[in-house]
Amino acid sequence: MKTSYTIASIGAALVGAAALILGLADVLVWAGGTGPISIGILEITGEDFFRWAWGGLVVALGGLFMLAGARGLGDLDQRATAVLGAIMVWLVAGCDIFGMICGGIPAGEESEAFFNSLGGFIGGFAPPYAPAILLLPFTLIVAWLLLNQRQGA
Amino acid sequence: MGLTADERWDLVDRVAGKVVSTGVSRRGLADALGDLTVKPLTGLPVALAVLYAFWSVFCSFAGDLVTDGFMVKFFDNHWLPWLQSAWPDPNSIHYFLFVGDPLADNCFEAFGVLTSGLFVSIGVVLPAVLIFYLTMTLLEDSGYLPRLAVLADTFLHKIGLHGYAIVPTILGLGCNVPAVTATRVLETKKQRFLMMTLLAIFVPCGAQLGIMLAVIPDLVGWVILYLLIGFAVFGFLLDRLIPGENPEILIDVPPYRWPIRENVTKKLWNRTKGFLKEAIPFVWLGILIVNVLYLTGVIQALSNLLAPIFITWFGVPSETVAPLIAAFLRKDLAVAQLSTIAMTPYQMITSVVLISIYFPCVATFVIMLREGWKQLLAAIAVLAVVVLTYGGVIHGIGILLGVA
Repeated sequence: MKTSYTIASIGAALVGAAALILGLADVLVWAGGTGPISIGILEITGEDFFRWAWGGLVVALGGLFMLAGARGLGDLDQRATAVLGAIMVWLVAGCDIFGMICGGIPAGEESEAFFNSLGGFIGGFAPPYAPAILLLPFTLIVAWLLLNQRQGA
Repeated sequence: MGLTADERWDLVDRVAGKVVSTGVSRRGLADALGDLTVKPLTGLPVALAVLYAFWSVFCSFAGDLVTDGFMVKFFDNHWLPWLQSAWPDPNSIHYFLFVGDPLADNCFEAFGVLTSGLFVSIGVVLPAVLIFYLTMTLLEDSGYLPRLAVLADTFLHKIGLHGYAIVPTILGLGCNVPAVTATRVLETKKQRFLMMTLLAIFVPCGAQLGIMLAVIPDLVGWVILYLLIGFAVFGFLLDRLIPGENPEILIDVPPYRWPIRENVTKKLWNRTKGFLKEAIPFVWLGILIVNVLYLTGVIQALSNLLAPIFITWFGVPSETVAPLIAAFLRKDLAVAQLSTIAMTPYQMITSVVLISIYFPCVATFVIMLREGWKQLLAAIAVLAVVVLTYGGVIHGIGILLGVA
């Protein structure tokens, strides 16, 4: 198979590597290998098996798929593998964002009101963010590049 | 006037020439993605991601938004105080049956038909079932579910089923009622019986899952693990014990498509309507029956009778016997009752697993009866054996690990 290096393949490889590392970090923090990680707007708390072990594994596997597909994007199956990896990261990021929306609509338990204020709702989207959300814009760009990649290029 | 065979073929050629157009089909990205989600090496990680999303959306919507966000507040702060103040005579039988404990400060623990019954069915189960059916319909209509069936086919064949058994299994996680009906997608009597029995025993419904997540969030993973192992082991054994055929099937895997909104809405409405009609009245009836059994002392008598087995064989404290007995009719609320009893984590896991593998709720019971009373009796017999065996095995594992 001919290996071609394009912007799409370099982007997929870089974002894939980042997703792989951050996904593994999610699992590692959950497993107690290291304490919670907080760097700038990035935060990995690791307190919940479902989000950090299972979700982290999905992000890591998504990264692996992007890395595997990045080599030889001229081949349709390789390109599809990379796109599939990006979709896996989107699934986790989408779930994180959906969780923020669902958690932000009702007022807190202590409040008498049923609905949150607009300010409170918007405040729920403030940083820090989980790795999948930070990876989301990059995976979107990579997916766009992959979809515009010509077969055999 | 008749045509000769040659003339007929000529006519066919002419008609076909005018109406059929042919072209070269090109394999696109969607086709490649479709292939990748069926191959085990890439398909299994994708299944892991899809099930993660499925469960995450379920918890965020049903748990955080509807139940915890609005329903708990409405039922505990408004409905329960109003009912307790408006209902006459807190010492009467009708108060006990319909409102429950006069000192309860939340609907979850009141145990009346109009308190716990309404809260569990409308506040907990309905949102869970709604989001479950929506995500299920989207997976079905997008074309992912047949691919999951292909992936699951190898494993399910080892327990006498085939790939499409994944449909009732996943449906059962929402509600066992439609899941039992969905066993009709299986061909032989053996397969239907096998699936129905495994569903009734090892697949916890949305109500149970919702309450487990609320009451024992740290232990849900272990409970699910025990149920999965039980599903595989007893499925394997039952397949070898029950006579009958396990035919192979061909699964039609359609290309990926965007679900059509009208179809999704129609399916969602039909499924939810079925649940509202068939399951909710039986949840209320179940609560009423259990409250009557409590009042007449039947539950206490059964508890006394079965306590030695529960304590020595299953290794659970004597206080758990009454909720475990009552779980026959009200398993979701039984989990809530268990949460108030002092137990080691392992005893809690054992108790919740026992509740899960007990006979299903009254609604499922009725649906199974509709499928045939002989199958129902056979399923009860299998269930009794499985509960005793598996409950003892879990206790044994706990003893070996030094945690029971």
